[in-house]
Amino acid sequence: MSVQTREAPPRGKVSVRPAGSGGSAPGGGRGTGKGTLPYLLLLPALGLTAVLLGWPLVTNGMLSFQNLNMTQLIQHVTEWNGFANYTDTLTSDTFWRVTLRSVIFTVVNVVVIIVVGTLIGLLLARLGPKMRLLLSVGLVLAWAMPPIAGTTVYQWLFAQRFGVVNWVLAKIGFTSMADYNWTGSQLSTFFVVSLLIVWTSVPFVAINLYAATTTISRELYEAAALDGAGAWQSFKSVTFPFLKPFLMVATFLEVIWIFKAFPQVFAINEGGPDRLTETLPVYAFVEGVGNQHYGAGAAISVLTILILLALMSYYLRLVLRQEAEDDEAGESTTDRKKGERA
Amino acid sequence: MVNVAACGSDGDGDKKAGPDSFKGQTLTLWAMDGSTPKQWMKDVKAEFEKKTGAKLKFEVQQWNGIQQKITTALSESDPPDVIEIGNTQTPAYARTGGLADLGDLKKDLGKDWTASLNESAVYDGKQYAAPWFAVNRTVVYNKKIWAEAGIKGTPKTRDEFFDALDKIEKKTDAEPIYMPGQNWYFFDGLLIGKNADLVKKKGGKWVSNLADPKVGEAMEIYKKYASYSKAPKDKDEATPQQAEVFAKGKTGAFIGLGWEGATAAEANPKIKDDIGYFTIPGETAGKPEGVFLGGSNLAVAAGSEKQELAKEFLKIALSDKNEGALAKEGGVIPNKESLQSNLKGNPSAEAAAPAVEGGGLTPLIPEWGAVENPPNPIKSYMTSVLKGKSHAAAAKAVEGEMNKRLSQKQ
Amino acid sequence: MQRSLLGRIWPNATAVVLFIGFVFPVYWMFNTAFKPNGDIISEDPVWFPDSPTLEHFSTAVHAENFWTLVRNSVTVTVLAVGLSLLVALFASFALARMRFKGRKGIVLTFMLAQMAPWEVMVIAIYMIVRDADMLNSLVPLTLFYTVMVLPLTIITLRGYVAAVPKDLEESAMVDGCTRFQAFRRVIFPLLAPGLMATSLFGFITAWNEFPMVLILNKDAEAQTLPLWLSKFQTAFGDDWGATMAAASLFAVPILLLFLYLQRKAVAGLTSGAVKG
Repeated sequence: MSVQTREAPPRGKVSVRPAGSGGSAPGGGRGTGKGTLPYLLLLPALGLTAVLLGWPLVTNGMLSFQNLNMTQLIQHVTEWNGFANYTDTLTSDTFWRVTLRSVIFTVVNVVVIIVVGTLIGLLLARLGPKMRLLLSVGLVLAWAMPPIAGTTVYQWLFAQRFGVVNWVLAKIGFTSMADYNWTGSQLSTFFVVSLLIVWTSVPFVAINLYAATTTISRELYEAAALDGAGAWQSFKSVTFPFLKPFLMVATFLEVIWIFKAFPQVFAINEGGPDRLTETLPVYAFVEGVGNQHYGAGAAISVLTILILLALMSYYLRLVLRQEAEDDEAGESTTDRKKGERA
Repeated sequence: MVNVAACGSDGDGDKKAGPDSFKGQTLTLWAMDGSTPKQWMKDVKAEFEKKTGAKLKFEVQQWNGIQQKITTALSESDPPDVIEIGNTQTPAYARTGGLADLGDLKKDLGKDWTASLNESAVYDGKQYAAPWFAVNRTVVYNKKIWAEAGIKGTPKTRDEFFDALDKIEKKTDAEPIYMPGQNWYFFDGLLIGKNADLVKKKGGKWVSNLADPKVGEAMEIYKKYASYSKAPKDKDEATPQQAEVFAKGKTGAFIGLGWEGATAAEANPKIKDDIGYFTIPGETAGKPEGVFLGGSNLAVAAGSEKQELAKEFLKIALSDKNEGALAKEGGVIPNKESLQSNLKGNPSAEAAAPAVEGGGLTPLIPEWGAVENPPNPIKSYMTSVLKGKSHAAAAKAVEGEMNKRLSQKQ
Repeated sequence: MQRSLLGRIWPNATAVVLFIGFVFPVYWMFNTAFKPNGDIISEDPVWFPDSPTLEHFSTAVHAENFWTLVRNSVTVTVLAVGLSLLVALFASFALARMRFKGRKGIVLTFMLAQMAPWEVMVIAIYMIVRDADMLNSLVPLTLFYTVMVLPLTIITLRGYVAAVPKDLEESAMVDGCTRFQAFRRVIFPLLAPGLMATSLFGFITAWNEFPMVLILNKDAEAQTLPLWLSKFQTAFGDDWGATMAAASLFAVPILLLFLYLQRKAVAGLTSGAVKG
């Protein structure tokens, strides 16, 4: 989870790039890099992934074409039913509503996390060492909180009776908030879920972004100042280009994490009230495991994967292009840019 | 097709019962949280281990996610041997073929099982489980708060009950009754009292009957109860545990099971002596409110390789002696009417008993299990009505979901 | 002058507010865990446990099989993290230092693997493990957790490997080391902080995993701590004291590990060792 790698660029190069490929030594192509060695080194990782991820994925795909309920599961019967699970799912309004909700949920949270995380990261850079340590410790504690424990704590903070949040709100003047039921409506449930997710995710962005700023050479700022750049301009021309690669990675990871977020959404209110806070993973779980329609659940999960792929396709294309550049060019793009500026 | 279930059910290989034939074997029992009183469990375990020479591994299960857990367990090659299954869920499991046929046990042991309790254990004419016990709800109340409000005696009719709640509201700072919006089994009791049906047959298929005005009448009564409570409208009686809320001593009453009174006393020993029970009063003094006769059956997994040992266990656990002891210690209704005398002296069971006659269940069709899977659409209906929707509109809103669940492929 | 004073105050003030915001939930967890029941459900919150009690912790620890579950959790987590680091180290070395056919495709594979929604595949996984007759065992859990954390470990570690200057490796090889020796003596020590930092993600993931162990290991003795924590919540209703004590016990190892490794990782970086 820690992306410290980006704090450790070889001198003069900025290692912050999508996929965290540090200032990867391009132009490798020496003798030892050829032949079977790289494949041998990759074999364990690829093998494990193929068996333990590939196999379940294929199985899951096969289940999605089956009528698999209590009876079939208990009797070990395979009952193919063609595309029925898919047509049922794709023709139901609920599925599309849940999909839209999932996408909105992901976008809103990711935007909030990236913006707040960036601001806090920049704040860390401005603080003195003592305050920076203090805030860092706070961030690390929130970051390190295991999601299951965090979810439990949030349920207690927002408990209707004796929850400290309601008490504080009532004390500072919102008297109607005493005994307020946070899980009573769609919006308030999403608020609690989002707050929990933002709380655990922001530190990752903030700390790593701060680390990335420490790699920016002072000279660049001085040069910008000589050119008469103001604070905003020097942010735009110096800081931001350095942070952009990290922000790309962070966005990629956050989109995945939040789209897939299951324990937080499920545990706070089990997708309620009235199934109004079910996101795709929760929906797949409720339909599949909860209602014991395992085939239908598998179909929803396959669709969930496809939707996530579609969301990520732009980013994946970028990564591919980046990797291609690594293969071809010797210089990193940032180096070139710096050269131009100099 | 690999049919483990079929392989397992040929118990012919087992030798006939005898103290030595089972030595070294271990029987696994799954019982739900709260079903097995300590002393009873200890005695049954001792008797079983002594008689068969086998070991008993007893595992308490949580209600959360139990259906999936039982389903997957029944599909395994080494399932738990004896499983407690809720009576309303038994038909659904019976239909899957995951439960062993207990026909001979019924002949042996169950000639005089109470018919209304055995009903849920029979599917398609075959005995798939043994009725174990039933429970029904009573009013659990705090005598101190009732005295403080100046109420004498316990109410005999619903109107008297509401009057009492009014008094508590006016004269004390206690919450008159704790009634969360989704105490669905209490609602089911009200439905039974109103003779309302939840499903009806239409064109050979089961469909929702929630829109029936009789359902609306029952819901009106529920709404009146809920109006005396600050409990969340979108939660059931288990979140938070109503007994624990009651234990704090600031709640006049709640509708619950006998063991919940005990839970409250355990959570706060100070109110132990203040806890009282009475039968939920109905429309008229002679006839108590309808109640849901929740209960449990004991079933044997078809995939278990210890069919004979499992039956031995059932014979011991369900013997008149142990069944009577269960009724006595747990305050639950035993599976034979002849054993009901064991309830004497247990205030919660004595309060529960008068309502048994007018008690009922949920529809005993295999499709029903799906309806109660969370999120239970009837609970959604209840919450909507309590939040101000009309009965008709709320029923209409969840009918689609209910019909979908009732028509799901099995 | 005034402006610069303001300019100095607001970042610090904001930092303090943020600190409170981030720490409060963690604080409230510990605070509740130490408070006697009466203080927990008092009408006005008790901000500091002035009459602390260990009663809730004792309830939590005396739950059935607690120590077995601790052992299981630690075993599974440590093994999964260790295995994934080892496997990832090989893979990231190849990806960062070598050019070969199919590299792009492999990088893409790991990025895709990172996207796998494990929670929604539990039934497929269950059926595979069931049919392999490996239910109620820690082995499949360890292996699945390994693969769960593997992609991100590789992706992250690749950056660390790449950041180790090549000259170092080369000069070691000039000194007569084989490539493997060069790796072990020169590169590995430089990677240590990176390995530690990378392992954090694995620790959190494996320590927390819930849906899979729930369905794979029904045997109470083969379960892990997340199940214990969730059981607490249902079994104790709104006994927030015991629940928070359990949550605290569950969180503490990870919190400590984080504080420790975070410092290590940063120290390793700032010491300049990596920059060679």
